[in-house]
Amino acid sequence: MKNYCILLLTVFFSSTISAQNMEEQKYLLTTHTNTFGLSTLSFIDPYLSPLTYSGIGIHYESVSRRFLSPENTSISMQSKLNLEAAVTENPATTSSMNYLGLNYSWGLHYHLRPREGLRLLAGALLDADLGIKDVPRNVNNPVNMDMNANLNLSGIAMYDVFFWKRTFTLQLTMQTPVMGCMFVPGSGASYYEMFELGNLKDAIHFSSLHNKRGLNSAFTIAVPFNRSVWRFGCGLNLLNYSANDMVFRKNEFTFTVGTTFDMVTFGGRKNKAPRNFITTNN
Amino acid sequence: MIILSLFTKTPMKLKLKYSLPFLLQVFLLSSCMNEAAVEPNTHRGNFESLWKIIDTRYCFLDYKNVNWDSIYTVYSAKVDTVKGELRFFDMMGNMLAELKDGHVNLYSDFNESRYWKWFTDYPDNFSLSLIKSSRYLGDDYLIAAGFKYKQIANGQIGYIYYESFADGFSDNNIAYIMNYFSACKGLIIDVRNNGGGSLDCSKQLASYFFQQETITGYIRHKTGYGHSDFSSPVAMKTPAHKTIQWQRPVVILTNRMSYSATNDFVNRMKQSPLGIIVGDKTGGGGALPLSSEIPNGWLVRFSSSPMYDANMVSTESGIDPDYPVSLRPNDEATGYDTIIERAITLIK
Repeated sequence: MKNYCILLLTVFFSSTISAQNMEEQKYLLTTHTNTFGLSTLSFIDPYLSPLTYSGIGIHYESVSRRFLSPENTSISMQSKLNLEAAVTENPATTSSMNYLGLNYSWGLHYHLRPREGLRLLAGALLDADLGIKDVPRNVNNPVNMDMNANLNLSGIAMYDVFFWKRTFTLQLTMQTPVMGCMFVPGSGASYYEMFELGNLKDAIHFSSLHNKRGLNSAFTIAVPFNRSVWRFGCGLNLLNYSANDMVFRKNEFTFTVGTTFDMVTFGGRKNKAPRNFITTNN
Repeated sequence: MIILSLFTKTPMKLKLKYSLPFLLQVFLLSSCMNEAAVEPNTHRGNFESLWKIIDTRYCFLDYKNVNWDSIYTVYSAKVDTVKGELRFFDMMGNMLAELKDGHVNLYSDFNESRYWKWFTDYPDNFSLSLIKSSRYLGDDYLIAAGFKYKQIANGQIGYIYYESFADGFSDNNIAYIMNYFSACKGLIIDVRNNGGGSLDCSKQLASYFFQQETITGYIRHKTGYGHSDFSSPVAMKTPAHKTIQWQRPVVILTNRMSYSATNDFVNRMKQSPLGIIVGDKTGGGGALPLSSEIPNGWLVRFSSSPMYDANMVSTESGIDPDYPVSLRPNDEATGYDTIIERAITLIK
């Protein structure tokens, strides 16, 4: 009987301690936002043509953001992947330019909370950009590649608005390149000479505000529904850069729609999921 | 800058003190990154645009002693009097023809301007019906990729007719052809009337006739707006193929229509220890062309990257054969191709 009581007490206290641990344990949530966008855009790429090509594009963007640790809610880490495809034409519609682009960025933001419902994030992002512009009818210069890496300044403002018993989050993001390096071929250099003969002289350039300026901004509103949060918005991406006596431009206006969700990730030896979390891995 | 100032706890006056010069600097810097002005889509605007593209990007103005400013004066006077798109196109095409360059063309939806005197002013030195006669290819020749080939001269000579360097081929194609010709004393590669194509094909075909990698030429490109603003020469090497090597004489047959990538091939083969060039001088086309557009959407192709032989002599004007031979009408009338016959004699 005595042993039976000890066993009961042990089970009771151990479960209480376990419950308390669950409450005290902090878990890092990763906020994922996946958006799709439709954009109107224009390019000037003097290597391919002196004319402005304009048209439409589609986007997919995936943004993940989480704090560095559960104890530190001042600095968050963000990674962003952006995929884009576009079809544009010259003003006389005699030639088309196809564009495929990929951009990946990673960086940190410092969080300020000056008042209730307002969060201001400021930080820096490193990004790598890879794009291909293709004008099929061109001779020996049908393709130009956008290859660059940048250090960007980034700022985000988020403000919660209470309306209809719901919380809508307005978000303004702004990003601008500060310095980096970029690939820009000489206006008379062929890809044959650069890549077949290996002459990349004057093709790699240091970039900073003196030869590259841009502003990638977006305004979104997060609308909570019963089981999901949808994000609607628009974006403006302006980019100018110059090298080898050529000035390149990309202007883009985008409408976006997507979803935002928070998730907690478990994995590895030290970060196992609690037993009351159901996973297919068990 | 606004975001940056959020980090600091400096007074507003101090923030402005540092922020304003920064913003001013950004503003001033932005003013020096202007795109090139695009001419309006009018006859005058399109003329100015085309003239400027050639003036700043065409590579042979000095080499050919072309007075492009003088040509501007002549054709500018015609721009406002020309009526209709067809006549305007002809006028623009005529202006480009002053460059006497087969790599310069104007493309519209209804026509393509061209300059062909680099071969029409010269003898053909080629007859397709002759090489398709039973003495040469006949009807029973073999075809591998873009190569038409057959053993001729009683099986002593391998003969290949290659019509275009735009027709790619593989090592397998070449291995089969060379195996087929293994008992022959030598090989003839006929690139007459071959107007060019890919420089990669030119290099690859030449590589079967080199025992070691050799610098066979150089290339440069325009780097500025001046007529002689060029980059430093970059060596164009012909590698020796690792596994397929032809070890006997190879004769390359040329005429004025051997142009562009074919010109490059002939230049490479001229330096092959096995190569002998027979026929007429090649047509040239010793530059890599690029393209641009004018406001009405017409495409202009122009020579941009001049190429040179191993002695830094331009190949634009063509390459002289080792043995100049012309197609004699008497031979042609009796079914003999004088140039092929001379090649056979040289190999034997």
